[in-house]
Amino acid sequence: MSLATEVISSTSSKVITICGVPNSGKTTIFNAITGLNQRVANYPGVTVEKVSGRFSIATSKSDAFTIIDIPGTYSLTPFSPDERIATAALCGLIEGERLSDAIICVVDATNLERGLCFVFQVMQIGRPVVIALNMIDLAKRLGIEIDTEKLSRELGGVPVIPVVGTRGHGLAQLKEAVAESTNADSPPSGGFYDESVEHLLSRLAEAKHNGHKHRAELLKIIFDVEDGFKSNYDSDTHHTLDGVIQHGRKQLIEQHGSLSAAGTATLSRRAAEISEKVATKVKQTQTTLSDKLDKYLLHPVLGPIILFSVMILMFQSIFSWAEPMMSIVDNLFSSLAGLVESVMTSGPLQSLLTDGIIGGVGSVVIFLPQIVILFLFISILEDTGYLSRAAFMVDKMFHWCGLSGKSFIPLLSSYACAIPGIMATRTIEDRKLRLITIMVAPLMTCSARLPVYAIMIAAFIPYHIVLGIFNLQGLVLTALYLLGLIVAIFVSYILKKVMKSEQSSFMMEMPSYKLPTLRSVTVRVVNRSKSFLKRAGTIIAAITIIIWALSYYPRSEEISAQFAEQYSALASEYQNGLSPEEYQSRFEELSNEKAGANLSNSYFGRVGRAIEPVFLPLGWDWKITLAALASFPAREVVIATLGTTYNLGSGVDEQSSSLVSKMRDAKWDHGSKLGLSVFSPAVALSIMVFFALCCQCGATLVTIKQETGKLRYPVFVFVYMTALAYLGALLTYQFFSGVGL
Amino acid sequence: MTQLDKLGRGQSATIIGFAKDGPVTRRLMELGLVAGKKVIYMRKAPLRDPIQIKVGDSCITLRKAEASLVLVELTTTAVLN
Repeated sequence: MSLATEVISSTSSKVITICGVPNSGKTTIFNAITGLNQRVANYPGVTVEKVSGRFSIATSKSDAFTIIDIPGTYSLTPFSPDERIATAALCGLIEGERLSDAIICVVDATNLERGLCFVFQVMQIGRPVVIALNMIDLAKRLGIEIDTEKLSRELGGVPVIPVVGTRGHGLAQLKEAVAESTNADSPPSGGFYDESVEHLLSRLAEAKHNGHKHRAELLKIIFDVEDGFKSNYDSDTHHTLDGVIQHGRKQLIEQHGSLSAAGTATLSRRAAEISEKVATKVKQTQTTLSDKLDKYLLHPVLGPIILFSVMILMFQSIFSWAEPMMSIVDNLFSSLAGLVESVMTSGPLQSLLTDGIIGGVGSVVIFLPQIVILFLFISILEDTGYLSRAAFMVDKMFHWCGLSGKSFIPLLSSYACAIPGIMATRTIEDRKLRLITIMVAPLMTCSARLPVYAIMIAAFIPYHIVLGIFNLQGLVLTALYLLGLIVAIFVSYILKKVMKSEQSSFMMEMPSYKLPTLRSVTVRVVNRSKSFLKRAGTIIAAITIIIWALSYYPRSEEISAQFAEQYSALASEYQNGLSPEEYQSRFEELSNEKAGANLSNSYFGRVGRAIEPVFLPLGWDWKITLAALASFPAREVVIATLGTTYNLGSGVDEQSSSLVSKMRDAKWDHGSKLGLSVFSPAVALSIMVFFALCCQCGATLVTIKQETGKLRYPVFVFVYMTALAYLGALLTYQFFSGVGL
Repeated sequence: MTQLDKLGRGQSATIIGFAKDGPVTRRLMELGLVAGKKVIYMRKAPLRDPIQIKVGDSCITLRKAEASLVLVELTTTAVLN
């Protein structure tokens, strides 16, 4: 892996950029060319993904190429901030990123017109362009014949290679053509723009004294009014250029009605003309298969029903199909821990390995089955073209609170686990929209909250029938699910206002329906799983080690000595005729007591006691506070920690009746509530509300860091969620204890 | 003359221009919506926004607010079935 990374980052090999309009199959071709040899990074300082890979061609083994996949975009005049990065990268305008040696432009053969409009613009960059005419098989089936030679001639000699990305057809020829093109000089720019625009371009070229700007950059200066004109020329030149631009724009508007009419509309028309010339439709069909399918799948009544069924299936499979695999992972890690425990003598190193590393990494790797299944679904939904239809149907529900239809799948997935949900936001192109979705995703009620809810409800919420049909326990659980949802809506509404994310649009082409291929689905699932595991093995392991150390150290000599005495007393009782069963259970009891004493003496225990006053208004004693603190790596850890503090060992789970009875019996041993029960329904509700809203999940925070590329986002998420959790728990406790619960 | 979002299901119209210039207009042009082209209003989403239209061979979705920028002339009222 590190070797491949080194080769990719070396500047000696030639750099190829692959671009195309959304849904042209660009990523499929990229995946097919590079296989699993990919590296994901972000452009410096921004959240826009930069995926790079490598390929070489059969005829010359020495020549390795670096290939960069940029996000799909409809034009080089950017619409969103994300597109601004993608187009700047393509045009070589990002500091530290060099202009590529050749550009592969992927064009969907079934929609030549749309692709060509983009090709025209890419040709203005002045680098050799090779067109990968993708989905040529699908075009044939639809009765579209494309004369590739004629198309190449119309484009001034740009090579046009017919390919089928999903099956890997034509890729060898594509790679050859790309290798060939990198040696070409003075690539054609076509002459697609109107004379008036060409005139302005030459005026601009005259007006600047030094520095080379390619045509694409000059065109962006003319047409991208929103970005303004920035240059690093001296002020005189800048002033002259600015004058030429202002005057030129005015003339274009006079002549064509608007700037867009002068630029984009001209290209759009030329694209239609050329497409007409080179593509012949054998069959003239009015309604395509996609139209027929849409009639049912987007039907006002049937559509939502089908969508709902698909979502139920997906949701069910994340929960139930993943279950057996998750217990396999769980068993694997616990038997590994058991093995280490049996071969090593007890001590800090053994505890670090078993409780710290194996336990910690295991608690994250356990989500792998869910991630695999979710991405299997998402890849299939996206490849078939259904994902954009699903977004279309639900968009309105999300639009008003700052989200969009594209946030639907990520947020729904977060009900299973926020980690795959956050990873699924990569299908959202708009940066602000993606950030808002990422920041509210951890509020969805994930499966790790369920154990916490289950034990608290079982212990403190009575089984009580309300209004004849509702069970109070079920109502509380439903209320907790709703709480997460309502707070998420509220937070995204606020974030939308704060981040001024008003520009989110829903203008896009709906891809036609296609059958997904095993190959493209596999590559995506494997890549996602790999990046998840890499994270679990590194940063998450580091976090769990820190948490382990805080709850293990310092070890008190006193406690050890005290328990050593009790152990030897027990041993002598055993020799004096205590039954083996009795001995065994007394021994375990003693070990659990020792673990409890050690935990309460640890740094975490001390911190827990020290900050008890902070959590007192929530109704919590130091043991609950400690358990909540120690659950930072993962929410469900709170139960194991409660088990340890109540001297039951860390093996307890949400079905543990001994933990329930211990909690019911727990009394305050100090302070103003001395002798009163610690737990009450109000305290249980306060704990549950806290866990509904807090972000005690290290893996989620690490995922946010990785997906956004910046530390401030996970920090913000942790701070705002913890603040909401505290506030929510405070209000809950004060209200319910006030009414006597 | 009317706005694209005011059409009914299955109606087709010819684009005559845009209410104003800007990034949204530019994007719509890139998606093939240029003066003189024929559009067919396919359907609304179940919650009545966004809408789906057809320009040439491609299906395009956009919100009503965006569609309201597109000025069209109604050509037929043929209802799709």
